[in-house]
Amino acid sequence: MNQLGRVIAAGLVAAPLVASLMPDAPAAAETAAGAASPDFERDVLPLLYSRCFACHSGKKAEPAAGMKLDTATGIHEAAVIVPGKPDASELLARVSLPLTDEHFMPPLKGGGQPLSESERDLLRRWITAGAPFGSWQAFEHREPAIEFAGSQLSRADVPTLARQVDGLIDAWHATQGTRLNPPIDDEVFLRRVYLDVAGRIPSLAETRRFLADGSTGKRARLIDEVLDGPGYVSHTFNWKADLLRIIAGTPGWMYDEWVKESVRTDMPYDKFVRRLVTSSGYPWDDGAVGFYLRDLGMPLDHTSNMARVFLGTRIECAQCHDHPHEPVTQQDFYQLSAYTFGVTNLCSEAGFSVDNVRHWKALKAKLEDTQAGDNVRQAASRTVAVLKRLTKDTTNELVYPKDYALEPARGTKAGTRTPFGDEAPAAVEKRREALAAWMTSPRNPRFSRNITNRLWKRVLGVGLVEPVDSLSPMTRPAQPELFAFLSEMMARLGFDERAFLAVVLNTRLYQSGADDEPPAPGQPSALRGPLVRRLSAEQVWDSLLTLLVQDLDERKTPNDHTWEREEYHRLATMGPDELLARSRVMSEFFRNRRENDLRRKALLVSLDAARRSGNSEEERRLDAQLKIVNRELTDLKVSAGVEPPARAKEADPRWSRLNSGWVRASELAVPVQLGHFLRQFGQSDRREIDAFSRDAKVTHALSLMNGDLTGAVVAPTSLLMKSLATVKDRDDRIRTLYEAILIRSPTDEESRACRDAWEAAATPERDIAWALVNTPEFLFVQ
Amino acid sequence: MSSIDTDFSRRRFIEWFAKSFLGVGVGSLARRASAAPPVGGHAKQVIAIYLRGGMSHVDTFDPKPGRPEMAGVRAIATSADGVQVGAWFPKLARQMHHIALVRSMTSTQGVHERGAYLAQTSYFQTPTISHPSLGTWTLKQLGTDNPLLPGFVLVNGSPQHPGSGYMASHLAPLPIIDPAAGLQNSTLLRGETPADFARRDALSRTLSSRFTSGTKNRTAAAYAKIHEEAVGLMRSKDLAAFDISREPASVAAAYGPHTFGKGCLLARRLIEHGVRFVEVNDEHNWDTHNDHVVQMEQMTPPTDQALAALLADLHERGLLATTLVILTTEFGRSPEINSVTAGRGHHPGAFTWWLAGGGIKGGTVYGASDASGTRVADKPVTMPDFNATVATALGIDIAATEHSPSGRPFTIAHDGKPVLDLFA
Repeated sequence: MNQLGRVIAAGLVAAPLVASLMPDAPAAAETAAGAASPDFERDVLPLLYSRCFACHSGKKAEPAAGMKLDTATGIHEAAVIVPGKPDASELLARVSLPLTDEHFMPPLKGGGQPLSESERDLLRRWITAGAPFGSWQAFEHREPAIEFAGSQLSRADVPTLARQVDGLIDAWHATQGTRLNPPIDDEVFLRRVYLDVAGRIPSLAETRRFLADGSTGKRARLIDEVLDGPGYVSHTFNWKADLLRIIAGTPGWMYDEWVKESVRTDMPYDKFVRRLVTSSGYPWDDGAVGFYLRDLGMPLDHTSNMARVFLGTRIECAQCHDHPHEPVTQQDFYQLSAYTFGVTNLCSEAGFSVDNVRHWKALKAKLEDTQAGDNVRQAASRTVAVLKRLTKDTTNELVYPKDYALEPARGTKAGTRTPFGDEAPAAVEKRREALAAWMTSPRNPRFSRNITNRLWKRVLGVGLVEPVDSLSPMTRPAQPELFAFLSEMMARLGFDERAFLAVVLNTRLYQSGADDEPPAPGQPSALRGPLVRRLSAEQVWDSLLTLLVQDLDERKTPNDHTWEREEYHRLATMGPDELLARSRVMSEFFRNRRENDLRRKALLVSLDAARRSGNSEEERRLDAQLKIVNRELTDLKVSAGVEPPARAKEADPRWSRLNSGWVRASELAVPVQLGHFLRQFGQSDRREIDAFSRDAKVTHALSLMNGDLTGAVVAPTSLLMKSLATVKDRDDRIRTLYEAILIRSPTDEESRACRDAWEAAATPERDIAWALVNTPEFLFVQ
Repeated sequence: MSSIDTDFSRRRFIEWFAKSFLGVGVGSLARRASAAPPVGGHAKQVIAIYLRGGMSHVDTFDPKPGRPEMAGVRAIATSADGVQVGAWFPKLARQMHHIALVRSMTSTQGVHERGAYLAQTSYFQTPTISHPSLGTWTLKQLGTDNPLLPGFVLVNGSPQHPGSGYMASHLAPLPIIDPAAGLQNSTLLRGETPADFARRDALSRTLSSRFTSGTKNRTAAAYAKIHEEAVGLMRSKDLAAFDISREPASVAAAYGPHTFGKGCLLARRLIEHGVRFVEVNDEHNWDTHNDHVVQMEQMTPPTDQALAALLADLHERGLLATTLVILTTEFGRSPEINSVTAGRGHHPGAFTWWLAGGGIKGGTVYGASDASGTRVADKPVTMPDFNATVATALGIDIAATEHSPSGRPFTIAHDGKPVLDLFA
């Protein structure tokens, strides 16, 4: 039955559509004549893929209306296109109906995106031209693996590679009739490299050293120096932690330290991902198990995030139903998720499982044998709690859910299958190895592309494909040769992130003036230069601290966790008898701590009353008692072995007088307190991937005008102010402040304004520092 | 508070504040349910009290007189006929005629963070989406009546608070860390005089112009504006809404000298100034695994005092009719006392939350737990149901859908159904 006929007969075609259907409408005639005939595979297929295939393709168990628009035959059989006659083609009619029409395609209910006018026009022109398919027969749903045979490259090849990238960019500009923005000067370059690579502005000494260097090749040398410095580790950790959602608590610092160590030791990116995916053991032995511990009891969400972060693909829709906009089915999702489902804790809904505790049964028997009291039993359960965090493989297999679309398959095992690229069959006990090998192979069509695109965006502000997690078989980058070259280069560099970044930073593109705004949605990067961007919360914090803390990158939080790591390790190697003995000690400790706690609380009540009544003698007496009680608690903890003998205090003279929280953002546990500077400026709480914000808020201005950090910067004793001590001349002082804060010299006009300020104020240096920290320029990378 | 001497146009201040703090237009009430609901719709503002850690129910708002589960705590009569509460709350007992206790709350989330997340968002916590909290939803749906102030303020909130979730960051709560200190960073640096500030500020504007006039970046332009406007805020009269030191000593004394009392007092001031949603967390951790009774003896007096003062004060000022006050926590606590620790464990199976004002039928009890307080015996209410009730009280259409950036549809109370019997 001709559905279009039915639609038109029912009088559902709105007036605008009728107008656009008229063959002699001038606009349509002009476009049809003026533009080249569309190519099916290049132009039309992506539209069908993103608007039609989710329901009308052979990928569906039951294609909607029986239509399979993913093969040439299927399109013919569906009879929705009449070659040469766009106005008789139902496909065009359906996508052109008013949005409120019940026959409108694609259905808006599931969030479908209507075709734009130019997309409809494209379809019209293609049909008018006779709807040619060229050599196309059918859409291959399974995206093929990449044939990879490139020879190995290394960091020594960086200069050559950078020139090759320059060449590709020049060639692209030649086809577009465009060009790079003008080259930047050393000051802009210096600040940009430090912020992009080290995550902070350079210190005054770093700035002076670079600007004073008159030799050739100093930019390339600086790039290497900053990439190999500690700032890169800190900044890269923030980036990875936002992707992996690393938070305080479980697994906390063990995961945190493992990721930092992987960056510090230059672990290749493919190995990094393999280590995460195949991680096993206790978190203190292999911090990478945090990858699983983070998603306790949520195996499906874990798969969604893994695909998004490592494969640039969003498939979380298919957790619960077939993807509404792409031919990705719930089966695809389940088969991918089946690779990691067997991991302990990941698949356990009830929380960390006591089954992970090797000696639990033996310990319980001993508790029975010794007729241990409830106090010891409860202490035993708490003693072994940390051992439940063991990550290992089980033979548990994922089954299709109760509401799975295909009724017969409900409750049956999904089995493992990769959604694209190579197949990766795997025995149940080798599932994760197979997944990791498939995922990180240079043959995987999305692995290298994903990290390439993400790293490119990190330093240039916009990806070659946007959004960065929209890779699909239909990905059509605007600069395909460049994207292909870079992705292959990443694999040939052995997934060395520093080497890759070194190539990009050495290109003329990176060293060109910045574009003010990102390309409009749907428009490609113009490749004229990086983007002007607001600094991340961490970059703002770390930059302000650069003005306050000498050798900032070297400063860590005093607690290095070595003691905890050893204690956990000792606990993990205990046999049942030792665990029982330990439980008794803990039981005693809990009892003593309770008693201590009650005494402290009673003292606090009395102390409060004494303060209120103004009885200062009583207050002193109670205060002294409180100190004793507090000391007793510390002793209790040390003797029970739940705390190290003495927590290290800041001993380094460079920092001993500074606030202990003044460390790089990467050294602070996330999420930080609400109201903390980092939180105010939009640091992610790491509940979701990349959940940071760069929006402007009035609290930012308040914080920079009146907040503690600004107060510290302008204090006479600050690192910044002390750096002026040996600078006597007024103009030199002004220049020094500019170089320290904005990493450039003042313009003549600015010098004049500062000299005027000098006359007007008793504390001109502090005024200028305050003023510069409060310029929007401080908050942006250019 | 120090004031500074700068020109500032009030009209521009309003425009700016509405955009940069709130991202909403003035009085944007368009999202209210189009047809008047059969009940609800009387509340215009909310004060949400959140008790962190999971407060016990059997010896507080769902007492079981004479039962061993009470651990020796008495139940006392209240100003509501036939309604008793635990003896920890003598002052609040006299305000019970305003309160509707929901004694049949039930949940499946027995871990702190997950329970709190469900309470605040109506959704289970998952790693793939971050849901907005009830305050953000309320602000999104109702806008604000006073564009001079943020629409959602969170007093003494936890770092884990879901905030605006996937919704725009301007719908996130403005955090107040210390209610006595008011809006963070709104006063001059120590030792800085208004003249110092004015001089520095003028210089900063001059030194900003090279960058801001040289870039078309929209965020950069926003920062130039925001700096200017923040200066205006510092001298604005509306900043006083955050300043509880302006309250008479007798009022401050009624709320009490503790952080929670100050937080509740601040909440009342903000409500008076038209803030849509104020969430107040108290300074205690109600996670009484050890020595429950001793801890409750220490923690409850400030809570009792502040909550009683808040309800009485709102009532006296005629604000209670349009202000919904709710009290929530992540779960109840096990009715059985642990013999070793003398404490109570986590207990999501049955617990009590309550509502007052805003068109709620005061002095009533809805639902019931069983004789020991272990399970729900009558009319179970889930956290989403409760939040749907709050939305209904505010006249918000609980079916109104908002899409996340990835296109997933969500509603204010997920699958919750409002408890219509709670409305007067």
